[in-house]
Formats: sequence, C-alpha cells, structure tokens
Amino acid sequence: MVDPIKLEIFKNKFSAIAEEMGVTLNRTAFSPNIKERRDYSCAIFNASGDMVNQAAHIPVHLGSMPMSVKAAIQNVSINPGDMIILNDPFKGGTHLPDVTIVAPVFTKEDSTQPLFYVANRAHHADIGGMSAGSMPLSRSIYQEGLIIPALKIMKNYQIDEDVLSLILSNVRTKIERQGDFAAQFMANKIGIRRISELIEKNSQETVVLYSKALMEYSEKIMRKTLKIIPNGLYLFEDYLDSDGVDDEKIKIKVGVEIKEDQAIIDFTGSSKQIQGSVNAVYAITASACLYVFRALVKENIPANAGCMSPLTIITQPGSIVDATYPAAVAGGNVETSQRIVDCVLGALSQAVPEKIPAASQGTMNNFTIGGIKSDSGQAFAYYETMGGGTGASLREDGENAIQSHMTNTLNTPVEAIEYEYPFRITNYAIRHNSGGNGLHKGGNGLIREFTLLNDAECTMLSERRKFSPYGLFGGENGKAGNNLLICKDKQIKQLPGKFSLFLKKGDKLRIETPGGGGFKKAQ
Amino acid sequence: MIISADTGGTFTDFVYVKDGKFKILKVLSTPDNPAKAVLKGKSMIAPDNLEELIHGSTVATNAVLERKGAKTAIIMNRGFEDIIEIGRQNRPELYNLFVKRPEHLVKAPLRFGVPGRVSKSGEIIEPFDFDEAKKVAGQLNDLKVESVAICFLFSFVNPVHELAMRDVIHEICEGPIACSLSHEIMPEFREFERCSTTVVNAYVQPIMKNYIGNLEKNIGDKNLVIMQSNGGRISSTTASKEPVRTILSGPAGGAVGAFEISKQTGYDKIISFDMGGTSTDVSLINGQLPINVESTVSNYPLKVPMIEIHTVGAGGGSIAYVDKGGALKVGPLSAGADPGPICYGIGNEITVTDANLYLGRLIPEQFLGGTMPLAKTRLERYFSNLSEQTGLSKVKLAEGICDIANTVMEKAIRVISVDRGYDPSEFTLCSFGGAGGMHACFLADLLNIPRILIPKDPGILSAKGMLLADCIRDYSKTIMVDYPIPKETLNDEFQELRKKAISDLSLEGIAPNDIFIDQFVDMRYKGQSYELIVEYGDDIRNTFDQVHEKRYGYSNKDKACEIVNVRIRAYGKNEKPDLDKQKQSNTAVDNDAFIFTKDCVFDGLVVATKVIDRSKLQFGNQLTGPLIIVEYSSTIVIPPSRTVRVDAYGNLIVGKKNGGF
Repeated sequence: MVDPIKLEIFKNKFSAIAEEMGVTLNRTAFSPNIKERRDYSCAIFNASGDMVNQAAHIPVHLGSMPMSVKAAIQNVSINPGDMIILNDPFKGGTHLPDVTIVAPVFTKEDSTQPLFYVANRAHHADIGGMSAGSMPLSRSIYQEGLIIPALKIMKNYQIDEDVLSLILSNVRTKIERQGDFAAQFMANKIGIRRISELIEKNSQETVVLYSKALMEYSEKIMRKTLKIIPNGLYLFEDYLDSDGVDDEKIKIKVGVEIKEDQAIIDFTGSSKQIQGSVNAVYAITASACLYVFRALVKENIPANAGCMSPLTIITQPGSIVDATYPAAVAGGNVETSQRIVDCVLGALSQAVPEKIPAASQGTMNNFTIGGIKSDSGQAFAYYETMGGGTGASLREDGENAIQSHMTNTLNTPVEAIEYEYPFRITNYAIRHNSGGNGLHKGGNGLIREFTLLNDAECTMLSERRKFSPYGLFGGENGKAGNNLLICKDKQIKQLPGKFSLFLKKGDKLRIETPGGGGFKKAQ
Repeated sequence: MIISADTGGTFTDFVYVKDGKFKILKVLSTPDNPAKAVLKGKSMIAPDNLEELIHGSTVATNAVLERKGAKTAIIMNRGFEDIIEIGRQNRPELYNLFVKRPEHLVKAPLRFGVPGRVSKSGEIIEPFDFDEAKKVAGQLNDLKVESVAICFLFSFVNPVHELAMRDVIHEICEGPIACSLSHEIMPEFREFERCSTTVVNAYVQPIMKNYIGNLEKNIGDKNLVIMQSNGGRISSTTASKEPVRTILSGPAGGAVGAFEISKQTGYDKIISFDMGGTSTDVSLINGQLPINVESTVSNYPLKVPMIEIHTVGAGGGSIAYVDKGGALKVGPLSAGADPGPICYGIGNEITVTDANLYLGRLIPEQFLGGTMPLAKTRLERYFSNLSEQTGLSKVKLAEGICDIANTVMEKAIRVISVDRGYDPSEFTLCSFGGAGGMHACFLADLLNIPRILIPKDPGILSAKGMLLADCIRDYSKTIMVDYPIPKETLNDEFQELRKKAISDLSLEGIAPNDIFIDQFVDMRYKGQSYELIVEYGDDIRNTFDQVHEKRYGYSNKDKACEIVNVRIRAYGKNEKPDLDKQKQSNTAVDNDAFIFTKDCVFDGLVVATKVIDRSKLQFGNQLTGPLIIVEYSSTIVIPPSRTVRVDAYGNLIVGKKNGGF
C-alpha cells in the first residue's frame, strides 16, 4: 500500500538524486555551454525506460529523454559498468549537439536485468558538421555533425577508447568534449551510487513501488489540472518565418481537444517537413506539449511519465512537427519547439484566457561564432542563445529580456567572453518599446552587439523576424526581431533570420530580439 | 563591559561576560527603529561602563527585502545600462508562464550610461566622455539621487573611468551623494555579479550610515562594532561604507557561535543546524569557517565572501497538508508567529510544532518557562480530520510530519556535505535554534551522524558568536593568468592586497604584529567557468587538483589551469573571554532535575519518558534516552537509542547508546 508519508519522502529522495546528478554535471563539465548556460538535464528511469523523475533543467528534454533511453535499451544489451551514448534525433534525440548518456542501475542480487536507469543529456558546443558550433543552416542531417546511434561508450567500467576516439576525431574542440563527456559519466555514476544506497536502505520492492507511485501521483495531479479546463476543441495556427533555404513561411496548426481529464493535441494540417534545418522530430513536439501542460500545474510535481499519460499527441510523419530521416533538424529543437508552444498556448487561451499569456519572443536566437584565433592558431567555437520579451497576461505586463518557455540557459558574461574569445560585446541592453502595446504590455526584447576582433564564421538561427509574437484579446503584437550587419566601413546591411557568413575583423553584428505580445486593448 | 546585541524579529538578544560566565538578556525588538531596543539593552547592562558593543543588525538586509533603500542610480558603460535588470537572462522558475523578476532596486530612469571602455588588459579602447559624465551628474542632481553605484567593464583591471566618474559627481553634484565603486566593493570579473553587489551596497549605504550614526551618537563612535556576513566583525566606520558585507550576518553569527563553542568542547568538524520557526540554516564547518562567494539576496547575487549557509523552508511552523496527488506535504508554507501553530491557540493548520506536541515531545507546562500555555486539546479535531483524509492513524501522521520535515532538512545537509565531497558521519551535528533540539537526533540518524552537540543557551548562540568573532576583512582581485606564473608576479599581487589590508586593519585599531593574513587563489582548469578557492602555498597546482578531486570527484593533473583571482583574508584575533569551567565532575543527576515522567511516542510506540530540567544538570551527568530535556527557549528530545552527557561548560553531548560519544 502506498502511504502518503513515504510518497512524500521518496519524492524528495528521487528529486535529490536527479538534482545531485545535475550539480555534478554542472560542476565537472568543461565547456561554458554546460557550466555557465546550464544546457543539460538529468533524470531517473524505471526498468522499462519510463521516466521517474527529471530535475528541473531544460524543458525541451522533458518528453524526449525517455525516448532516447528506450532507444538505448532496446538496441544495446547492457551489463553492469556499461554506459550507452547516443544523439540520433530519430531515436528520441532532439538535435545532434544534445548527447545523451544512459547507464543502468543493477541490484547486487541480479546483474541481468537493470532495476533503474539514469541518464543525462548535455548540449555540446560542437559535434562536427559543416559549421562551427554544429547549429548550421543545413539541408540534411549529414551536414549537421556526427550521428551517434546507441553505442556502448563505457564497457565494464572502462571507457571504450575506440568509440571515444572516433567521436573526438569528428569534432572541432576535442579537449572540451572530452571534459564534458567525463562530466556526463560522473553524473551517471553519482546517480547509480545514490539509487543503490536508496535500495540498500529501503527494500528493492519499496523503491520500485514508490517509483511507480510517483508516476501515478504526477498523473493524478495532471488530470485534475486538465479537468478544470472547459471541454471543447480549440484551434490555433501560427507560422515559422522560413527554413533558411527559401523564404516560404511554414505553418504549424494545432487542435487541442479537452475531454474531461485528458487532452488530445492534434497537429494535422501543419506543413510538410522542409529542406532547411527547422524540422522538429516527434520527441520535440512531445516535449513542447508536455512543457505547456506541466506549466499549467501549480503544484511542484515530479516531471515524469505520469505527466504524459493524460496527453495524446497526433502528428503526421513527414511533417514539420514529426520529421523523418534524413531531414535537417538542428533548429527544430530550439526554434520550432518554441512555435509549437506558442500554438498550443494560443489554442488554450481560448479555453482559459486568464491562465495563458500572449506570445513570448518565440525564438532562442541561436548564435554561433567559430574560427581560428589569429594569435594562437587555436580553434574556437562559441554558442549562445538570447532572451527576449515575454507575453503580457490578464494579470500583468510581460517581463523584459529573459529566456522563455523551452529554454532557460544563462548568458555568458561580457567580461568572460572577452577573456576567452576573439570578439567583444559592444552593446547589451533592453530593446525599449519592443513589447506589444495593450492593457498590459508585452515585455521588451534585448539588443546584443558583437564586434569581431578576428575573422570568423558566424551562424544565426533565429525566428520571429517576420511573423511577430502575437498579442491576445486586442493586445498588439510584439515587435519582430532584427539582425543587422554593420561593416567596418559603417555600411549597414539587413540580414535574414537565418544566415551563415564569413565576417571580417572589425565587422559588427547587431541582434535585436523580439518583444512579447500585449494583452487586451490599451485604454 | 563588552556586549553583543543581535537584532531578531521578536527579540533583540544580548550576551556579555560577567564573573567568567556568559550572561544573557532578551529585550523585545523595535522593528520601526531597531536602535531603540539595542540602546535599551545597553543601558540595562552597562549604563556607563560600555567598552564595546558588537552589533548584528538586520537593517541592511531588511532595506533590500522590503525595498526601502535609498534612491539609487547606477552608472555603467554606455550601451550596458540594463545589465542589472537583464542579469543572466534566466528566469527563476522554469514552469511558470507568468514569471516576473522581483521588483528592481534601480529602475530604468535611474540607469545611466557614459561612453568609455577599458579592455581586458586595462588598455583604454574608448576614451571616457567627460561631457556626457557631467550631463549624467547633472541629472543625478535634478533627480535628487541619494546614492550611486558606478560599475564599468574591466574596472578591476583599470579603474580610471570609475574614479573619473566619481570625481565628476563630487564636482557637479550639490548634495552629498554616496558613491559605491565596483572595483572597490568587489574587484572581480563577471559584470552582472559585480554590478549587483555594488548596487546592493549603494542601495543600503545611506540607510546604514544613518542607523550607525544614530547609535554612535548615543554610545560613542569608538565603541560600536558591526558583525559581517563573513563571520568577522568590523568597525562601524567601515560598515557604513560597505554595508553589503553585513547582509545576512545573523545566521553568520550562529555559525561562528556554533564553531567557537564546539572548538572549546574539542570538536572542530561540525555541521551547524539552526532550526527556527519558518526555516532552517545549515552550515558545514571543517576546521575553519566555510566561505563562499555565491550568495544572493532577493535574487541579487552578492559576491562578497560570506559564511556558506544553506537555508530550507522547514521549521517548527511549517504547515502539513495533503496535496492534490495524495502526498503528505510539510512546508515551505509556515504558520509563522501569526496565526502560529494550532497549539498556540489561534492557528488552524497543523504544523511541525503541533506534531511534536501530539507525540508528547513538547511539554506544555515547561514551554517558554511555563509562561505560554499550549492548547493541546485543540489538536485532536485537526488531527482527526487529517487522519481521515490520509487513512493514517493520528500517531503515525504526527510521526510522519516530523519525518518529512527531517527529510527536507536532511536534503539541505546533503547539499552542503555529500554534494561537496564530505561524509557527514565524520562531523558533529551542532544543534541550536528554538526547534533544533526536537529534531537533531532524528536528523543525525538519517545522516549516520554519531554525535550531537547542543550548546548551552542554544537560543542566543548567534549573539554569543558575535561576542567571540574576530575582526576580519576580505580582499580579492581578478588577475586571470595561466598557471604557472612566476612566484614574484603572484607575490606582487598578494603584496598589493596585503598592504591595503594592513593599512585598513590598523585603522580598526589592530597593531601590525597582531594581524594574521591567509592567502588564497581562485583556480580552475582552463575552459571551466567556475573557480575553486585554494589555499596559497608552495604547490598550488597540486592543492588545486586535490580540492577539485574532493569537491567534484575527479582531477586532471595534465590539464592546463589558470588563476582567476587572488584573495586574502586578514584577521585581527579577538581575545576570547576566559570562561569558567566546572571543575568537579558529578555523575549523579540531582533529583531536582527530574520534573516528571510522561508518555511519548517513539517509532509508533508509547514509551514512559523522563522530563528533565536542563538548568539542574551538572558537569559529568550522564543520562540515557528516552528523555525530554527542557529549558527556557528550547526542548531537546533524546530518543531511546541515544545517551547524553553534560560537559564542563554545560553543553550537552549526545551519543549513541551502544557507540559512546
């Protein structure tokens, strides 16, 4: 019998383990992308690969981690001391830079069938491919970097140097990668150790019983949350600006049907998958939907398989929200995921207007700079995402210059950049008056200007440069974002939302991120 | 007479030494003007013979928390004015669609930018624009700004623009405007954190100056000493210039008190555990006070060194309820002092205190010396309701509430021990605070901690710590160089900090011979972006690898590393009061100490438990659980598995029944 006291205690224990894995990964990783920007997630899974608890890290990993773990355990036979590495977006991955490492937790008595799994996923600043930073304007997945199917990277507690060497030979910044992988192994080891201790202190049966109870717990609360939303079918559609190859807009259409304590989220009618890199694999669409519904829950529930049970997601394979091999997907994770959230929120705002804000910036403004340092001859690769405005709501104005929805990564300090990389930030400020007007105003976007001290390749993957973040109930749209090149000779060029350019020392790139939508008409 | 005064929410605690003994006084706090209570206590203890008053004040902290600071402006490089608002771009809550940052200390019209830029090597790559600077100063005048934070990029390498800006303000502005310069407050890289620390300083500076000035007027400026959050004390003159160093100093006093008392008793590896009404503070002290530079107040990072204290929302007043998913939850919501737990007479939600009372672990007749009646009869109805809701017996429910609170606190202790590479079982749990004694033994069991120390007068340990604290000043500077570098270069950097420290401490009245200086470097592997503080010595590389291994579980001797900051901590040792030690050990417990026997619940079983008056216990007394030991401001629960003895200073040492102390 599940007892409410133990339920709460195990909730604390499991979340402490996932959090400790995160602390370990964060502290031991080498790259700023993981340490400073905290672009990673850690979670615990049961024997069939269902998620028991994910620490509150990156939402886009929410629905996708379990699919990676299932792919890993279905494709590889696993023994004590093994770890599996994978990043294949068509097997539960999101995009190639997100590399997942899965490890089994065996009991002392049984070394044939793992009782739990632990896994962590970290965004590596480079995983090879056609451009530094591995967030290219690609047309197929082959251009985006090294595809790692589920492979054993650790066998019987030893790193498989062959596999590691193959991976490292395909990336631009080997030492950094090596350090980050070591941190990922360490995080899993901590997870294994803690779960083993938990099993030792309690019994195996109890730990398994409460891991299941936690899923039921989250499911119960999710269903109660859905029950409050009026039954009905709510439709919404919005667009992505382009795929970076041609200028065609891309439609995302959603019908959210609430039936008592469940929701059917149907993306039928969305555009077909496209040439460029903003295709989202199913795992991303699932994560985005899960994020929205998880955010409607007021309680601090464990993010796990139970949250997903009341949701049915319908997609057409080969569409923009369920891309199939070998589609280019680098940007689907970061950009399309945001638009999917906008669409699902837009639909729900018709059902529960008081619970849903207008559109937030709807992009992550993924920016990479890479090249060779002219003084030392060393390669460098830098990646960052930029915050923007959030949408206003019935309660209040939106927030300025902050990360929204599917990401919550930190910026890299201006002074840290200048110590490390051959470029300088020459403007970093709130983009005033960019939030949509309304009874409540949308939050403002931000301005970030990069001045190159070295020739470099710059790649931008940004959205909401044409279709601006929507306002609601008469509130105006937020201002669309804007990318500008200010050449050394002061000439200003308008750049598209997605570009990849070789720029010269002295050139400046000025990025202005979108504002959030307003709520209700201004009085 | 030397007195310490610790301002708290309800009481201002005073501690002083008389005839070799600590004496205590509690005066009701006066939140509108905390100085009133301080002065009242002072005149009661030492009307005309005050030598020194060491004061732990909440004035700076409250000014930030309640947004009641000075009208503050910020001046940065042009184009970077909003850094204080943008922060690190992340939102405090992941799954909140309505996320808002807390109200800003400096709003947009008071943020100014002036052209002028220095590079990482200190070279001026854009000249400072004096005309623009004057215009800004003019606006400060017009807007009647009281305090200014000046923070330019790379000012810690070359402060020329910050100094120029200050000079312009002094030249142009009519009224007295306080200037906080980032390279003086916190000369380290990462502009947002430096700026945030400087802004918080600027925001509270006029308030603190005013408060201190008021106290000095009454007791003389030579006699006032202020407690800092780094665990050291400092003259009131310095504190009014750099009040940011006093924020969160209350818990710091507690940690210092716990450490000093434990050292005296012979234990210098402790985990301090301070459980109050709404929250619990824990700190791991491994032979020296733990310092970190990652604190925040109301979402603003403070990079000044503070005693590393971790706080969780579990306390005696934490409310228990069943959530929508059927789990029993305890806290973080608290019944506070108003309405308080059910048993205080008004509240109507079950709290941890109520659960303890239900289990017989609180003695109504003895609570606060019997001055505050506890309404035990009120509990029955609420426990019956919750019992029906959960399907658990009332006793199981009450024990469960305590267990859950213990799990939350266990997690907090794991964060500061296990997560940092320490095994809690090698430490002594030093328990204080109003509710600590009721949970310490159970918490120790969860963490495999064999020994618990419960100091004498656990309710005023923070004030005691202030009385025992040394004079401490911290200095640091970012140098960002690859390791190895010539020893001379590093020594030059240290020398610069040492010179400043010696000159500052002599102003504090400390003779050069009495100044002790510890030197540190903040190091990291190249490419990492967090640093570890490493004691400076002959082989810092090796030390760094070891510290890294300890903290993060791995090290890499071949990997290049860099020195980010140099750091020193300068002490003027405080003469510790000579305390009376009881000489005569006495194993026989005085009969007066036994108040009565009552039924208590341990592990679901009702056990006859002796209730003991702590004030009647003597050095050498040894008792075996189950026991309830009562004193004026706290209750100590010793379960059947534990034994307790009294040391020569009146501290209680709790050990395992079969494992000794």
